[in-house]
Amino acid sequence: MIGYNVVGQRIPKLDAAQKAMGRAEYIQDVRLPGMLFGKILYSRHAHAKITAMDISKARALPGVHAVLTGKDIPPRMRMGFYKDNPPLKADKVCCFRDEIAAVAAVSEEVAKKALSLIEVEYEPLPGVFDPEAAMEKNAPLVHEAHKSNVLKLPWKLHYGDVEAAEKDSAFVAEDRFTTTWVTHCCLSTSGAVALFDASDNLTVYSNTQIPSLAQKDFLETLAAMDLKNKRVRVIKPVIGGGFGSKLDTYAYEHIAILLAHKCRKPVKILFDRKEEFEATSTRQPTVIYIRQGCDKEGHLTFRNIRMVLDNGARTSWGATTPSVMMMPITSLYRVPNVRYDAKCVYTNNTYSQAMRGYGNPQATFAIESCMDMLAKKAGIDPVAFRRINQNEPGDVTPQGFKITSCGLGQCIDAVEKELAADQPLGEGEGIGVASLIHVGGGARIYKSDGCGAILKMDDFGKVDIFTGGTDMGQGLDNMIAQIVAEELGLLAEDINVVHSDTDVCPWDVGAHASRSTFVAGNAALGAARRAKQTLLAFGARLFEVAPEDLVMENRTVSVKNDPEKFMPVDKLLRKAHFSPGGTMLMADYFYDPPNENMGKDFRCNLSVTYSFGVHGVRVHVDKETGKVLVKNYVAAHDVGRAINPMLLEGQVYGGVIMGLGYALSEEVMIKEGQIKNPNFRDYKLFTAKDVVPIKAPVIETHDPDGPFGAKGIGEPGCVPTAPAVANAIFQAVGVRIKDLPITPEKVLAAIQEQSKGS
Amino acid sequence: MKPFTYLTPATVEEAVALFGQHRETARYMAGGTDVIVKIKDGWMGPDYLISLKQIPGLNDLHKNENTGELTIGALVTHAMLEQSLLIRNEYPIIYDAVSNIGSLQVRNMGTIGGNLINAVPSADGAIPLIALDGSALLVGPKGERSVMVKDLFVKPYETVLTPGEILTKITIPAQAPRTGSAYIKFGRRAAMELPLIGIGVLLVVDEDLSTCTRARICLGVAGPTPLRAVKAEQMLEGQPVTSDLLTEAGKTAAEESQVRDSVRGQAWHRKEMIQVQVRRMGLRCLDIINQKARQA
Amino acid sequence: MTKPISFILNGDEISCDIQDHWTLLHLLREELGLIGTKEGCGNGECGACTVIVDQLAVNSCLYLAADVQGKLVQTIEGLAVHTGSLHPIQQSFVENGGIQCGFCTPGMIMSAKALLDKDAEADREAIKHALAGNICRCTGYVQILDSVAAAGRQMAENQGEGAAAAKDPGTITQQSMNKKAGEVIT
Repeated sequence: MIGYNVVGQRIPKLDAAQKAMGRAEYIQDVRLPGMLFGKILYSRHAHAKITAMDISKARALPGVHAVLTGKDIPPRMRMGFYKDNPPLKADKVCCFRDEIAAVAAVSEEVAKKALSLIEVEYEPLPGVFDPEAAMEKNAPLVHEAHKSNVLKLPWKLHYGDVEAAEKDSAFVAEDRFTTTWVTHCCLSTSGAVALFDASDNLTVYSNTQIPSLAQKDFLETLAAMDLKNKRVRVIKPVIGGGFGSKLDTYAYEHIAILLAHKCRKPVKILFDRKEEFEATSTRQPTVIYIRQGCDKEGHLTFRNIRMVLDNGARTSWGATTPSVMMMPITSLYRVPNVRYDAKCVYTNNTYSQAMRGYGNPQATFAIESCMDMLAKKAGIDPVAFRRINQNEPGDVTPQGFKITSCGLGQCIDAVEKELAADQPLGEGEGIGVASLIHVGGGARIYKSDGCGAILKMDDFGKVDIFTGGTDMGQGLDNMIAQIVAEELGLLAEDINVVHSDTDVCPWDVGAHASRSTFVAGNAALGAARRAKQTLLAFGARLFEVAPEDLVMENRTVSVKNDPEKFMPVDKLLRKAHFSPGGTMLMADYFYDPPNENMGKDFRCNLSVTYSFGVHGVRVHVDKETGKVLVKNYVAAHDVGRAINPMLLEGQVYGGVIMGLGYALSEEVMIKEGQIKNPNFRDYKLFTAKDVVPIKAPVIETHDPDGPFGAKGIGEPGCVPTAPAVANAIFQAVGVRIKDLPITPEKVLAAIQEQSKGS
Repeated sequence: MKPFTYLTPATVEEAVALFGQHRETARYMAGGTDVIVKIKDGWMGPDYLISLKQIPGLNDLHKNENTGELTIGALVTHAMLEQSLLIRNEYPIIYDAVSNIGSLQVRNMGTIGGNLINAVPSADGAIPLIALDGSALLVGPKGERSVMVKDLFVKPYETVLTPGEILTKITIPAQAPRTGSAYIKFGRRAAMELPLIGIGVLLVVDEDLSTCTRARICLGVAGPTPLRAVKAEQMLEGQPVTSDLLTEAGKTAAEESQVRDSVRGQAWHRKEMIQVQVRRMGLRCLDIINQKARQA
Repeated sequence: MTKPISFILNGDEISCDIQDHWTLLHLLREELGLIGTKEGCGNGECGACTVIVDQLAVNSCLYLAADVQGKLVQTIEGLAVHTGSLHPIQQSFVENGGIQCGFCTPGMIMSAKALLDKDAEADREAIKHALAGNICRCTGYVQILDSVAAAGRQMAENQGEGAAAAKDPGTITQQSMNKKAGEVIT
């Protein structure tokens, strides 16, 4: 890394030693004096009227401080952007996950006992569990007042002329693909602790990815409770995994607030693992109809996609994943004519949330599977087909995305090289590739895509930086420390990154869209630059040179070309502090990238830059059992610049294994709205024994807008995994699996079907 | 977890006596990996939990070199079996089955006796013991009796044990010369699996290293209890074992099975797997036999 | 029912009263305040609660507190008290990117320790086999496996130098173990 001392170094995660010693404190470990324990009662039906509820026995149980039901919820209190979800449901339940009562008690045991004493009578209603069936005329309505099961959301675009382009196409491929529910499986279960001070100001400890937006949600909850002009403080304990799961606020947080207010004591709600599976959100399941065409030379001519999304019974961010699916649909490869139409449909199933990739893995599964089908029709090698259509710097895509740095071609090269280095293909073996595009510089989903940073330097040359950004294990603390240390000529260990408390940290829209390194990193860099400017101005007066003649390096400020003139940073800081009219070094910065909100027709430059990647995989398919064995895996990514290659590789490896689970083994099995496998035994996460050899070539394209050239990489690792695997299976045994996950049953059934046909 | 009184008798007799005192309010516990989960989940709620862990001798694992008989105490853990060279070298079917039960942490606690008494259709531990013609010694208020492992199971979660009886050890008779045995747990991932299907095959061949003199084909998750595919076994006995014959035996075994659909797998696929894996395990048995013959 | 027990916890003799139905995890976290051992599922399916009892890795969520009577228990807190004295496995996890969110880390390190104490030169397959019961959602395990392998090499080297005991406060030699165990039992 020419010219950089800290950026580009494999510096261990700043909190790793603390975590290695078991001293990191998670939500499980938060204990406050006088704290009560809350528990939630869920519906026993997928769809039913609540005809009676008796809480008297629960209320009378010694140790119970409060029992709440849907009747206690203020009418304005609704969660989620679609406002269809009160924290407790009063008259009707629409899914097994619906919360209907909650208790606070002196212990978890007493709280559980109290739940068992609540008597509920239901009048079951017919349910609807398939989104396509839910669109039919006589389907039961999940929410009668909504009149239709189809949500009023605008996911529809048409650029160019798809019909005309199809007529002119030499080859067309089409099919139906489905993806099912998978879930985040954060090792730490969800939880929150809420408490009020004597003046009704609220503090919430929560492992949220969106402290600032959570603060806003909780303020709305207080307003609904008629608590006006109060303060809300959100404190994040160490987060035991996020992956998008904590991108909204949930019933348990709002219920903890209501219980804490009623009891006038801190109330903690902590999920057990079963509850984590049953009452947290999933990745958005989809039904995808795709048609794609190309001309004789293999240039893509059009892409036409229709989707039906199972929204479940309530609405969280899962219903907005089509906005991100638009990105690969309009902009993965050069495709001039695009149509996309997505409908989110209420069912009596569970509902979805953000999950690493935010819709991109689903859309890319269909696009990249179909790309191989089209390449076959056109008689072009799949890799060559992708080269013909690859994005290039300077492209403006039909949606208006301006591609700046773009290493897609180099990623293809890297994957091809790594795969070619291996042995020739054996019997039952095949290779598959798939590419990805993802936002690399944040995404303007909210009105602001910004992040603030406040930086102070002490008398000893150390830096405290307060960032709006959130570390949830992905390593943002290192990104910020390494960026700031590089700019100020310090070591990473000199930088203390504070990201856990809205009382001291500035605003940020949240840890999503692979934006934190780029946006929080640029905010930190801006603050560091301002601090440096101030310090060098002071140093310039001291050394009687121009500020431009000074350099900060190795914890020292020195005069260029005059090695005799230098001063350790800490000494210079003290001089600044203790001179007459002294000054403390403090700087702030708010960085909001020039990203654009989607316009009416969704045209915009959603992100100032985009990340690219190509995955290649070699599989062996056991033709007698249908079992797919991944032999090796290559995941090449254009990351702009690797601020910390070790942590970057960690994101890629973690993403790939999560993606392989999505491809091959993971599914939340839901039957008539009920989750059948709410445990790690039957929800098949990869284990250490399932790990495959992974290579992660890093392509550095030095993005002009990224901090030291960096782009986002948090999500891409899991985006093109499933289609790469599906394409490899096709090459290995000639069957195309179109429904995730690709289980041995599906593969064997397809092989048997194929041999019947031949 | 519902509170209980934990009792730690020092002898089998004392344990049986304690059970006699508390009867239906009592449960025995071996390693605890199933019982504790069931108490936590509210599936059972004994007032008295009688631990067998403190009873000396119940974790005895040895082979009598004179008779060739193998004794596995009921409290022998899966990890003890997995790490035993005797088991690995001479009873590969046991090694195959126990080395992938749950996690190492679970194998360090869970016992072979507990695995049998838990009586789930997926009990990996039962299959090899059935294939090896093992018998279980049951000690209870009315004395002791011996039951073949294959006859131990009544239906899911139910065995032939009467209230108060304790399974104290498993005895495996001497293995015939030229015995090969193998087990495969077929699942979606490489570890932490309950099997989609479990298939154990044991073959004894004549001096020609080909003609089968005894066959055992045992299936897990193929019915309400672990079961033997007796017709398939008979197809092999007296015949030269070939890949084709094993395929036929696999087909018959699949027909004999009582597989069904569940969240873990579909019936048709389970049948396919029985067919395929009976052949593969049979061939592995032959490999083992041939390898040993070459060594001898 | 309440009963007194004594055992060795991270080298210290502990005598305390427990309730019969407490798990070891409950005893450690809720009664003794050792929060380093985590609960990820409560059913022995994730490994976050892994501790070492008499040299064996076990799920403390399924292990009754009553059963540690007279035994040697090691938890993550027993390996190091400050960053300057990290156990080679901890050091290796830190240096090789084996830690992201960190929730699985204490259990993962204890599983690794139980393995490497027995066989510092365990190969990758043996490491995978020993760690298969510890779920991690962040890392994809790759850097965890690297960390354990590197730690094993370091521990083998240390043992070669006869310095293992000095550098490894979490390891109790067989001799001292027998002595300590004997002290409690008698």
